[in-house]
Amino acid sequence: MNGDIFIEVGHYCCKKYGQGAEGDVFLSRKTDDGRIISVLSDGLGSGIKAGVLATLTATMAAKFVAEDMPPRKAARIIMKTLPVCKERGISYATFTLVDIDSQSQVKIIEYDNPAYLLFRQAAEPVLLEPLKRDLVVRRPAGSRRDHGGTATALLSQAVMHYSEFQATAGDRLVFFSDGVAQSGMGSRAYPLGWGIPRIQAHVMNLIQETPDISARKLAQAIVKEAESHDAYHAKDDITCAVIYFRKPRRLLLMTGPSIDPERDSEMAQIFRDFTGAKVLCGGTTASIISRELGRPIKVNLKNIDPSIPPASTMEGADLVTEGIITLGKVAELLEFPATADRYRVNPATQLTELLLNSDCIEFVVGTKINEAHQDPTMPVELEIRRNIIKRIAGLLEEKYLKEIQIRFI
Amino acid sequence: MSETIVKVVVCSGTACYVMGGSELLLLDDHIPAKWKGRLELEGSPCLGYCKDKTSGKAPFAMVDGELIPQATIPEILRKIGEKLGDR
Repeated sequence: MNGDIFIEVGHYCCKKYGQGAEGDVFLSRKTDDGRIISVLSDGLGSGIKAGVLATLTATMAAKFVAEDMPPRKAARIIMKTLPVCKERGISYATFTLVDIDSQSQVKIIEYDNPAYLLFRQAAEPVLLEPLKRDLVVRRPAGSRRDHGGTATALLSQAVMHYSEFQATAGDRLVFFSDGVAQSGMGSRAYPLGWGIPRIQAHVMNLIQETPDISARKLAQAIVKEAESHDAYHAKDDITCAVIYFRKPRRLLLMTGPSIDPERDSEMAQIFRDFTGAKVLCGGTTASIISRELGRPIKVNLKNIDPSIPPASTMEGADLVTEGIITLGKVAELLEFPATADRYRVNPATQLTELLLNSDCIEFVVGTKINEAHQDPTMPVELEIRRNIIKRIAGLLEEKYLKEIQIRFI
Repeated sequence: MSETIVKVVVCSGTACYVMGGSELLLLDDHIPAKWKGRLELEGSPCLGYCKDKTSGKAPFAMVDGELIPQATIPEILRKIGEKLGDR
């Protein structure tokens, strides 16, 4: 998190129909000094070869920028390094490189990808176009030999665009590979492809319909729309990345009673005073908070999913679930998100969704061991709460880049 | 027939749930039509009896304030019948 702005980076890609690998590569990393560096690179052609070109480009670009190498020099090295395509005689991968410092100052270098879109959230979202400066780099002159053996010099200079701006809360930076802009090319509806103006209008619509749409959802919606123009047989790799600068979404997950019953009121206070989404996991925990705050709890006995205990409702809580079984399932869903279970509607999937939609997650974990679970006739899957929370927190932090805080009570 | 309403509480806490309480939550589907409207069915996040060894074993249910340890659907139905004076 940079200052009081949280930066959410999301992307979605769809490979060219029939190809086994992506030819577009998106990568994003956080440096030790708090910068976020994201690169989208589109390799020449598609499939593995393009994937290699794009991966090389993206990795080098991210590395060089992280080490403050001047962009011109970085670009030159990249172009010298890329292997030369046998058929076309050039080495080539486009890129869009975004470098965000800890004060949300954004620097962007673009090379041959469609221009990025910047939406600022005012009363209505507006599309901004920061001024761009050209950076000209001499390419190592590629050459191609025709059948007679005559060498022809190819492109000898590359023009990149450099721009910078100060991001504010609500800004969205959208950038994509040409697969998005050219989707539907040759079709009746879009003979020349979807095109930038229509993409701008489409994204604007999406933002107006859902003003708080997350980066990952927006990127996915754009790619899915582009894919539909190609009748779901994408003619090129289609990749879109979205960087969303927003006020952090906070979530409190409270689970387990304290070892010291005198701290029940402290727990209730933490719960009451927290601003953001609030979740209670565990029957005893929910009963304690309900008792301390004098708010009744009701278990929802409608639409029960037999695999997960039912959720309850309580005033002031966004979700109240059972403890260990639900948390165990959440850990599983976070680790293996591509299972069919993800699409069921039950407290575990609801909690997973809440966690993924939050930026800063605070766990308040009671350390009392539940003696009822120590009965040898109980299934062995009943894990110790602390371990399961550590597992969930680890996954959220490393795999989903959330800010995590764990407090044991 | 008297119009007494019987309140049934089924525990959905972890211990009860894994010991068979998951079945009990479907109690509503087993209530005979003649009793409809005379029962109030409720779930509880945790009744708390699992931590007290003297109360018996999970799963727990309560019929009109009377605790049923190791509850099963037939057992709860029997108890409801008793309370309604209709066995």
